[in-house]
Amino acid sequence: MNKVLKRYVYKVDSVEFGEKSKLENGHLTISKRELQEAVQPLFEHVKSVDFELVKPGSDTRIIHLLDTILPMIKRTDESGRVYSGFFSDPYMVGTGSTNVMSGLAVMESCALPWDEDSASSGLLYPRDAILDMQGPIAGMTPFSETNNLVILYELEEGRSSAEYDDEIRYIGLRVAMTLAELTLDLPADYIETYTIDEVDPELPNVVLVWQCQNQGPYANTLLYGVPIDDIVPTLLHPNEMLDGAVVSGNYVWPAFKVPTYNHVNHPILLELYRLHGLELNFRGVIFCRSHNPTNWHKLRNANMCVKIAEYLDADGLIMAWEGGGNAAVDGMLTIQTAEKHGIKCSTITFEFGGQDGSEGVLLVDDVPEADAVISGGSIEKAVTLPQVSRVVGGDVMRLNKETGGFFPPADEPITFEQTIHFYMSGNQCGASKLSAVEY
Amino acid sequence: MLKAVYYTNQFFAGLGGEELADIGLGMFDEPKGPAVGLTRQWKGEMEVVRTIYAGDNFINIDENFEAIGEELLEMVKSAQPDVVLAGPAFNAGRYGVACAKVMAFIGEELGIPVVTSMWWENPAVEMYRRRVPIMSSTETAAGMRKSLPDLGKVALSLAKGEPLGPARKVGYFPTDKRKNEYVEKTGAERVVKMLLQKLNDEPFITEVPLRTLDRVIPAPPVVDLSVAKIALITVGGLVPKGNPDNLKQAFSVAHGKYELTDSNPLTSDNFESIHGGYDTTYASADPHRLVPHDALRALQQEGIVGSIYPYFLTTCGIGTNVESSVNIGEAMLRDLREGEVTAAILTST
Repeated sequence: MNKVLKRYVYKVDSVEFGEKSKLENGHLTISKRELQEAVQPLFEHVKSVDFELVKPGSDTRIIHLLDTILPMIKRTDESGRVYSGFFSDPYMVGTGSTNVMSGLAVMESCALPWDEDSASSGLLYPRDAILDMQGPIAGMTPFSETNNLVILYELEEGRSSAEYDDEIRYIGLRVAMTLAELTLDLPADYIETYTIDEVDPELPNVVLVWQCQNQGPYANTLLYGVPIDDIVPTLLHPNEMLDGAVVSGNYVWPAFKVPTYNHVNHPILLELYRLHGLELNFRGVIFCRSHNPTNWHKLRNANMCVKIAEYLDADGLIMAWEGGGNAAVDGMLTIQTAEKHGIKCSTITFEFGGQDGSEGVLLVDDVPEADAVISGGSIEKAVTLPQVSRVVGGDVMRLNKETGGFFPPADEPITFEQTIHFYMSGNQCGASKLSAVEY
Repeated sequence: MLKAVYYTNQFFAGLGGEELADIGLGMFDEPKGPAVGLTRQWKGEMEVVRTIYAGDNFINIDENFEAIGEELLEMVKSAQPDVVLAGPAFNAGRYGVACAKVMAFIGEELGIPVVTSMWWENPAVEMYRRRVPIMSSTETAAGMRKSLPDLGKVALSLAKGEPLGPARKVGYFPTDKRKNEYVEKTGAERVVKMLLQKLNDEPFITEVPLRTLDRVIPAPPVVDLSVAKIALITVGGLVPKGNPDNLKQAFSVAHGKYELTDSNPLTSDNFESIHGGYDTTYASADPHRLVPHDALRALQQEGIVGSIYPYFLTTCGIGTNVESSVNIGEAMLRDLREGEVTAAILTST
């Protein structure tokens, strides 16, 4: 195999709106008008979009947050297009050269309708993902440290959840790619080379199993542009993920979803890359879906994942998943199956344990083989969000649809009994430093 | 200067060995035994102002302990300490239990910070680690010079009013309490590092200990279904449309009880699922998929089943912790007992 991806990285230190979009010495000027013109042709279920900028560490709260996207673009079209399958045929990506912005995130914020036609199901209604740029929950997401361009969507009425979902994503990706176009004729701040072709026989072989959520519209993951319903576990080269082969469509429980930004810049994948050739051989990503419907299906999934790991001569496997308790069962069965086949595992997950941590079991499911479990933090901790001076995305939060809804003002202090409404608080991809520490 | 009260046994108080193990409660208004070393270690920041002792046999007899309780508290209170400490007890079982029991009692009754120290296999560790911070000591008193400073350091910090740090950092046995914190490295860095430690046969400790669940023993089978009264229960979140009792769609704390009658059939007009963990479209379209009342009715008409409990019980099984689950289960059981139910079918999603 000869698969090399070069990433040309462009640092974005500061951002402001202006008449004409340009990137100059780390300073990005964004023309709202130009972005609006770029996405206008996509409008069918979206009426209009507007934009807001949020600075790192600012006294700001972002609500109704759907997905977050990394601005990037291929330097030439010869090696495909980033986010392959969306604005192109699903050609294989992961080679050639990609321009990537660092320090800028594109966010989608939209209060997707809660009415019956659009959000008819117990799980599949959009929830109010909350992100604070400072204060107690800022560390739960990497995006309190980035400049964020927030897209605010105004929707046409009476469309289906699938229609809104699709179009919001296309617009988000288009905005991210349009911004990245600004880098095309510029010299990069630095260049990173990604390849796992060389295998050092002295080092252990390690694979990542990345198990993503797929339960219907608003709780979805897409591979090369298609939802992963009925996927059998498959092998991805990590470079495919770096080029955006996996895209999120997950707007349900904010704690458990992994943004597209982190499917691309997947923290565990990047860490395995960092140590490739030094302490381990990174052999690939085994990609599968969680929420398999029965134990039978879960075992089938686990065995197929481990089969691929065996083909890669894996000595070690890192199990990571998106989603809550159901997904934990899939993950644990994969760990058990791998260990039975002589492949050692570690994993990361959020935990329960009640407010003081002493309550009951910590995980929904576990197996005796799961003896190396990293805590991504407990979701059963009360947190009081402080007053903020600015809210982006709306004036009121929307919580607890099933009990008629609760709509507190978004800028005032509010206490939550759990962390499930906070963006990425489940720490499923290992992005944050949050952990439940033993006392 | 800060003040400490030190608890020890007859031996470390310098009174005598096993022959004095039945000696009752007493005290000296000065450091004795290891407390001398502690005062030296604290270099003028704190001193042991009182050494309280009791024989190991004496204090381990429950009636004795109850009898001296008030006197013990008074001995501590009158010294006005900033911290109370005991041990190290090493692997001495009676002394370990004495230290931990006395510290738990003082800490809980007086609200003064307490700490003790012993070897990890000392039976008192498992008995008391949830109530008292117990520092890890060496196995025998030969390690006094290592174990005593560890204990003294924590005691001084507690006396200063500093919060007790994490178990692994400070070196005490976990109390099973867990706090969310931002640690030094990301989850990604830690999960890769732990795998490498495992692959390289290096020591590692899981961050999430696996706690065992109680085993539920299945009830004996129903002997004669034709006279049995069967109830239907679901954790799939079926509720009357509009969720009149405001049941939660996750982290449930209660259950609902709703009539199963011919005047209120299980149709999508009357019922819906509010469960927050799956696509409820098909469950709401035909609620019998969660509560199979139609099938049970057919069995009843054929005479296979005696009767049907005229309600169904429901909650959402998602994110529900064990304590809440037990409470919900007990509350359901009260309903079932009151309804003289013989057996129940519970559907999960």
